Amino acid sequence: MTSSIGNPLIRLRDVSKCYELGARRFTALRHISLDVDHGERVAFVGKSGSGKTTLINLLTGIDSPTAGEIHVAGHAIHQMSQEELTVWRGRNVGIVFQFFQLLPTLTIVENVMLPMDFCDMFEQSQRRPRALALLRRLGIPDQADKLPADLSGGQQQRAAIARALANDPPIVVADEPTGNLDASTSDEVMSLLGSLANDGKTVLTVTHERDVDRFFTRKLTLRDGMVDGDSAGVLKVCA
Amino acid sequence: MLRDSYAARGRLVMVVVALAVSIAAVTTMLAAYNVLMREVPRNYLSTNPASAQLEMDGAVSDELLSQVRNRPNIAGAEAAATVLARIKVGPNEWLPLLLFVVPNFESLQINTLEHESGAWPPPSGAMLVERSALPLTRAARNRMISIELPQAGRRSILIAGTVHDPGLAPAWQEQTIYGYVTPQSLADLGEPTKLDLLKIVVGHGAGDANAIGSTVRDLASWLNAQGHHVLEARIPPPKRHPHQAQMSAVLVMLLIFSLLALFLGAVLTASVVGGLLAQHVRQIAIMKAIGARSRQVARLYMGLVCSLGIAAVAIGLPLGLMAARGFIAIVAELLNLQIDSLALPWWVFVVTLLLGIVAPAVAALVPVMVAARRTVRHAIDDYGVSAGGQGSSWTRRALARIRVTDAASNLVVRNLFRRRTRLVLTLSLLAGAGAMFITSLNLKAAWEHAITQAVSDRHFDLELGLQKIASLERVLAVTTAVPGVVNVEPWNVAAASIGNKDGLDVVRRYPDGAHGGIVLRGAPPNTQLIAHTMIEGRWLRQQDNDAVVINTLARTSALRGAKLGDWVSLSVDHRPLKLRIVGVVRELLTPGAAYVTPGTFARAMRAVGLVNAVRIVLADREQADGVAGAIVQALEREHIGVKSVLTDKRLTAAQGGHVYILVLALGFIAAMMAVVGMLGLASSLGTSVIERTREFGVMRAIGARSGTVIRTVVGEGLLIGVLSWIVALLLSLPLSAQVGEVLASISTQELSLELSVSGAGWWLAIVLFGSTAVSFCPARQASKLTVRQTLVAL
Repeated sequence: MTSSIGNPLIRLRDVSKCYELGARRFTALRHISLDVDHGERVAFVGKSGSGKTTLINLLTGIDSPTAGEIHVAGHAIHQMSQEELTVWRGRNVGIVFQFFQLLPTLTIVENVMLPMDFCDMFEQSQRRPRALALLRRLGIPDQADKLPADLSGGQQQRAAIARALANDPPIVVADEPTGNLDASTSDEVMSLLGSLANDGKTVLTVTHERDVDRFFTRKLTLRDGMVDGDSAGVLKVCA
Repeated sequence: MLRDSYAARGRLVMVVVALAVSIAAVTTMLAAYNVLMREVPRNYLSTNPASAQLEMDGAVSDELLSQVRNRPNIAGAEAAATVLARIKVGPNEWLPLLLFVVPNFESLQINTLEHESGAWPPPSGAMLVERSALPLTRAARNRMISIELPQAGRRSILIAGTVHDPGLAPAWQEQTIYGYVTPQSLADLGEPTKLDLLKIVVGHGAGDANAIGSTVRDLASWLNAQGHHVLEARIPPPKRHPHQAQMSAVLVMLLIFSLLALFLGAVLTASVVGGLLAQHVRQIAIMKAIGARSRQVARLYMGLVCSLGIAAVAIGLPLGLMAARGFIAIVAELLNLQIDSLALPWWVFVVTLLLGIVAPAVAALVPVMVAARRTVRHAIDDYGVSAGGQGSSWTRRALARIRVTDAASNLVVRNLFRRRTRLVLTLSLLAGAGAMFITSLNLKAAWEHAITQAVSDRHFDLELGLQKIASLERVLAVTTAVPGVVNVEPWNVAAASIGNKDGLDVVRRYPDGAHGGIVLRGAPPNTQLIAHTMIEGRWLRQQDNDAVVINTLARTSALRGAKLGDWVSLSVDHRPLKLRIVGVVRELLTPGAAYVTPGTFARAMRAVGLVNAVRIVLADREQADGVAGAIVQALEREHIGVKSVLTDKRLTAAQGGHVYILVLALGFIAAMMAVVGMLGLASSLGTSVIERTREFGVMRAIGARSGTVIRTVVGEGLLIGVLSWIVALLLSLPLSAQVGEVLASISTQELSLELSVSGAGWWLAIVLFGSTAVSFCPARQASKLTVRQTLVAL
């Protein structure tokens, strides 16, 4: 795949991922090559075991490829150590988890401040105002000083999105962000994620939602570890 | 189950080690208690201790002995004598020498000795010394040594060998040499001695002080009727070693502390098993889903706990037995005991085994039953980061209010209070150990403070006791003329006893004269040589005739219960003396004493213008030994013999021995508890890391570096350490007060509560170092978790 405008933000070339399962070798991804541009809203869809989560894990540096190259914002992340990946991910990728994964002992605003503390982003005095501003933007400013357990699922996922945006990363990744939410809340969350592209964010989502086209500009379908379809129409799958 | 246990082997090994250490502590104390409580009385009773010693005004003849043996309820009678002399242990350095005169070593039946080395009986011109006294003489067996006898003056005597006298405190504790000679030997040295002590053993009621008292009174009446006047009857506590009660109190206290360590070790087991169950929640759910009953699941985990207990007993029991041997050996040396057998009754092993298995099993029962009874639905519903352990919404909100600096720091502090039961357990373990450690050093500090206080209360540098009463004018003239002497005051002294209505003076004293004694002292009313810390009433006045000021030890021992204004009857030099208590003075490291004016003393002793003890102020305290030697020589040139020289050095050496055993034993238990505490902390943090695996994954996913994760976990460990230190510091105060009372009772001295700054500082350093060290492993483990490992599904 080639980028439509200049260099793509994310570039995968001939990426494969295999897992050793005892005596058995399982190939989760096979020779994937694809590009994602700045500001794209990409939905990864496919059946269970198709390789969606593995692909997202590789893009976020959570896992490393068995073969191939991954370049994100000019960084060859397939060559980075775990420690380098941690720093890089903290500053460049905001992650939204299916089960929210807010730290239970921290208040909502503290959860949002945490990535800034970890990555030493923004002045100390600016972190809380910024966190509060993000919560306001996501519609839950009143929940700032509550603990995660006191919030509903939808509110927790909004807080998780605020946390993903804390360090103002160019990429936001969400793995089945609505998997644990009811239908109306799911719509709200998908809509929120979709709207992030307006701020120049590139949004990558793994989802089972059927009407992803409403919120995302590109739908990438995976099957048996290979890209089976790309709504952008430009894809290249290595044999 | 075996495979699951293997996966958690690190934590389970820690549990076994913690339990083994606490079982070792319990075994040590249980074994020490059993052996010492058997061997202490056995040692003492093996000497066939005299039920009473009657001091007669004349020699006890063989004929009289035969008659006494035929008196009702008299099982045995022997004659003896004691002579208080001095022995030269270095240039210008003398120690008191208490010579026990034994008429017939071969047929000694009462207060027997155990022959250890050398000639038995000692030949003429020779003495045997108590084995603990030999090092104090700085001489070897078969060497001549200088002594000074009350009448014969300086002589040389051969140290023929050693004996063991289990009825005496070790010589180094009392700073007194105990020697054993025949009357012939003393006579050959020019010291004629009459055997004026009648030792008796009663037939019935040998263990009852009242029965002994009754027999002694009957015998004394009979003796008086026969024309043999009884000057004083000494009845020590029957069949009890001088230190038996205190030893028992200390051992029971240490046993309780070691049981506390085991209890905490058991709770630690429960905590780790609880963590394990939290990890196994899905396995348990699957087992239950395929038909396992709650009882079957519980049986599996209780089996694991019992196995851990058995493994811990297998390690802890032999270790404890070894430690007990060492501990018993130290106590035996401190109390001058001969341990004949280290055999333990069978029940010690059974109790240890049961404690090792039952204690952790009982503690683990609750978490195991809770986990086993969980429904399948509840067990498998386990996703995401758990809010578990945060308690009610109120406590969660209270926790949320704790704010430090930034969110990352808040995380460290709040995680601490997340599993409060576990926190309390870990804190208890560490704080218990810390409290013990600080207490042991507090006691040492209290003791050192008492010594410092005692030394600073004494505004004199030397105290000289004279062999015989001498002219005050001459003694003052000779001593003040010695270079380096600034001031000399007469402080006459005489042994006193409590007078009885029937005229028989009865004292509760052991043969060495220690414990329960009281002395009468003539003290100048305007003296500047002691600081009068009056607890009640006032100090002496010049015009006082029948006034007495008693010190605190006299009030708690010989004059127990005496109040201000009470009249007390003393017997001094076998003459009655009635005195009214006008004051109680606080004195440290001083025997029980009753102070009267020099006029009252002179009247009581019929010794006007005479002196038998002086207190001396020197220009330079550091020169005390040298000046003391010069004074002794000057007095001897005037034919005034010196019986004893007491310097600060001797005072502190004589008193220091009592405290070490307790400090040592507390230190031992503290070390055991510290090991259990540190393992508890390591285990607690390890379990916490495992429980929070997903959280660490999230932290790593949002940018937390390895260092951040390590700092988070180590920070938690350090915080627990610091918190435990604060609790330990607070706990150590009441503990020090309680244990201090035991120590005060052992040492028969008043002790103030002291906080050892260095002890607190050392424990803080140990806790900080230990917490960092033990939290580093789980911290590193947490930092090595990759996001993919921790978040199987994002």
